[in-house]
Amino acid sequence: MLRDLLSEHKSSFKDYTELRAQVNTSSRVTLLAGNMVSNAQSSGGGVSARVYKGGTFGFASGAEYSAESVKNILTAATDNALFMDNHVKKGQPPLPTLTADNVGLKLKPGSEAPQSVLIDFANELDSIIEKKYKKLTSRTVVADYLGIEKMLVVSDGASSHSFQPRSTVYVFMSAETDDGIPIELFEPFSALGQFDTLYPDPKNLMESVDRLYEQLMHKREGVYSKAGLCKCIMHPDLAGILAHEAVGHTVEADLVLGGSVAAHNMGKQVASELVSMVDFAHTALGKPCPLPVYVDDEGVVAEDALLIEDGILKSYMHNRESARHFDVKPQGNARAFAFTDEPLIRMRNTAILPGKSKLEDMIASIDDGYYLVKTGNGQADTTGEFMFSVELGYEIKNGKLGKAIRETTISGVAFEMLKTVDMVSDDMLWSCSGFCGKKQYMTTAGGGPALRCEINIGGR
Amino acid sequence: MSKSRQELALYALEALKKAGADKAACKVTRSRKEEFNIEANNFSLLRTLFNDELYLKALIGGKKGVVSVNKLDKDSIDKAVDDCVTLAKSATPDEAEDIAEKAENKSFSRNIGGPDMASLFTRTKEFLEQSKDEFPKIIFESMASEFTASETTYVNSNGVEFNDECECYSYGPMFSAKDGEKSSSFNYTGSTLTRLDKPFMDIGLMRALLDESVRSLDTRMVDEKFVGKVIVAPTCGDMIWDTLLYSFLGDGSLIEGTSRWKDSLGEKVADSKLTMRLAPLNEGIVGGERFTPDGFEAQNTDLIRDGVLNSFALSLYGSKKVSKPRALCSSGALEIVAGDASLADMIKSVEKGILLGRFSGASPGASGDVSGVAKNSFLIENGAVTDAISETMVSFNVVDILQNILSISKERNEDGSSLLPWCLFDGITVSGK
Repeated sequence: MLRDLLSEHKSSFKDYTELRAQVNTSSRVTLLAGNMVSNAQSSGGGVSARVYKGGTFGFASGAEYSAESVKNILTAATDNALFMDNHVKKGQPPLPTLTADNVGLKLKPGSEAPQSVLIDFANELDSIIEKKYKKLTSRTVVADYLGIEKMLVVSDGASSHSFQPRSTVYVFMSAETDDGIPIELFEPFSALGQFDTLYPDPKNLMESVDRLYEQLMHKREGVYSKAGLCKCIMHPDLAGILAHEAVGHTVEADLVLGGSVAAHNMGKQVASELVSMVDFAHTALGKPCPLPVYVDDEGVVAEDALLIEDGILKSYMHNRESARHFDVKPQGNARAFAFTDEPLIRMRNTAILPGKSKLEDMIASIDDGYYLVKTGNGQADTTGEFMFSVELGYEIKNGKLGKAIRETTISGVAFEMLKTVDMVSDDMLWSCSGFCGKKQYMTTAGGGPALRCEINIGGR
Repeated sequence: MSKSRQELALYALEALKKAGADKAACKVTRSRKEEFNIEANNFSLLRTLFNDELYLKALIGGKKGVVSVNKLDKDSIDKAVDDCVTLAKSATPDEAEDIAEKAENKSFSRNIGGPDMASLFTRTKEFLEQSKDEFPKIIFESMASEFTASETTYVNSNGVEFNDECECYSYGPMFSAKDGEKSSSFNYTGSTLTRLDKPFMDIGLMRALLDESVRSLDTRMVDEKFVGKVIVAPTCGDMIWDTLLYSFLGDGSLIEGTSRWKDSLGEKVADSKLTMRLAPLNEGIVGGERFTPDGFEAQNTDLIRDGVLNSFALSLYGSKKVSKPRALCSSGALEIVAGDASLADMIKSVEKGILLGRFSGASPGASGDVSGVAKNSFLIENGAVTDAISETMVSFNVVDILQNILSISKERNEDGSSLLPWCLFDGITVSGK
């Protein structure tokens, strides 16, 4: 656990200053077709400082964490801030002082599972998969852990100590169609906590792994989707990535200032009135979020950001500086991934809120369309134009699920596509297995219900 | 412990051997970065990073453990050694695990005299001002211009030792054009440099891409579906070349046996106009790899030569696992050998098609099927580039399409990281909304 070598330097802060100590630890075991291709641990930590002067920041970081190195890093960051202020001369006033809070540890670091736990888990799960599913041509099992511990002091008096452990299992399966075309599917399992606590026995995952194999067998018989605009049901997994990629990024205030489509839509109808979307801090709908954030890396106590309410764009996500620009209160979205990273405006637990429809009724309501179930990845533009891969989907014919479809892509413009949403399911699923990339990596969670909408689908 | 990085690497190597490693490798890296950041056309941050890395690999009876930490004091090294050996002991044995055999030890130096931050600031400021004058509708959502330096020592228990020192500058803006409520798709580019002797605006495709963004403020939807010709720009190289490298030529798909090219070594897999190589030693590549993670001195590797599959991109482990030769370098520094067509003639040869500037799509599965959205792209009609397009999808099979290369341009984008020409393909499906 990190020792506090930071507080003693508070008295030397002259301008707005953040001083942060951090350590990221990770473990990974990868079995590729039964071969242990990865058995690795890493640890990266150190101290960083960021100083604001006249409208620009100076930042510095170093791997050594000692009283002497903290002082040196603070000096280097201050020198960088002075260099920028002298050369850029923005002439901005100091950042506003916020109510200072001290946010302590909610979860305690230091109880990581030994690597042998990840190895045994991966070996056992791989062995079950190899024996049980005869039509696989290959398989990959990954057991992964990431823990991020941070300690922060800020010149306006805020301080915090936080720890976020995330443990993940990935299962990839490959098979071939009758004409020899390789096909694949994967399923991530991820949650907040230590690996051995979350995954005591591989057999606990088998219901989901069985379903993955069954879906892969459906995909073996899959047909190509028919290209064009069509009525679809998006599984919650896709709704979650839609919330993150296509909407979430466009309402990050730094991207708004960089020209995103959301700049001209504040207070306007950007989605069907059935759509509401929130970037939750730590608690969503009465339950803990998958990756709770209690305080951000500018020392701002985290609150929920209501982004879209009943289809109306209500707010952006902010850091201290953008909040001042837009004259709003920051809500704790400034986050840094590694000790070498400066805080950027990032999402936390971003979700479209559940509605009132039943998924089975939504499927039954479509005569000719698709049920889009799994996505591999997605990208979105600051214009709101997005693209997601669809790794698994099914035809819907006369209200019933039909054949699986081969890999395809869906695309659209978020604020146009969301206006076509006319049914929202009453359930909700979260996913927190991936990393968001925006200069730095970041752990984020996305969630949502199933949506009925019109969307452009690729195909032949 | 104020020791040189060679002394630290050798200390850790000896400690691994004493702790029971049959074979071991150790890499010590010290790095520094100085980086200017721009947000929304304005300087926002100056960042200075100092970091260390100790990478350890231990093999005990074919069982592997890998540990990396960013501390180089004696206690941290000793703990990392213990952890690495513990990891190895608990792993599953695999006869394919190995390290490079003894070869000539070498040292490399690509230093450029340290950072000139005043000049880097001036070049960055000049670029922002030039852009404001020439392209007032451009917004740089973000940009970094930076100096990086790294010093690395690699040693292994077979007696291999490499030392490398490397310094360079790089810059990379992400931008779009904005006019009232109209906005173009974002685009990005950048270069890695050894000197700051030219304005950033005059390097590579920078000016052309900013101009294209402005011209993309007004777009046209392709209102039909057709199968036809597409010129893939160097900026879109990842769509095809990186996909081939990572999805069909690398360890993963070959060990799994899912690569469509697993039995194609020595066979024709592409049009004979295509030669694709990993070229870390090419003089146009800045800071290219000098030794591989396995501990071999890096050499350029022709993956596809005149359309024939010449080499997989296999590591030492992958090579032993599938009994095929390893690649002579590990990754990156992709070069597509220039063709004999001018880009202007390539455009003139297309009656109806697309100039594809960027592709927003998913990585293809093992089948090679790809579909995605054409970004920063233009229609080609009657031999001329006309309107920017939006909401247009392209789909094709990344392996099959290599047989349909009509021409490769003489001109290449050489950005210090890769050397890529424009390439005209036939048989790509283009569909509008």
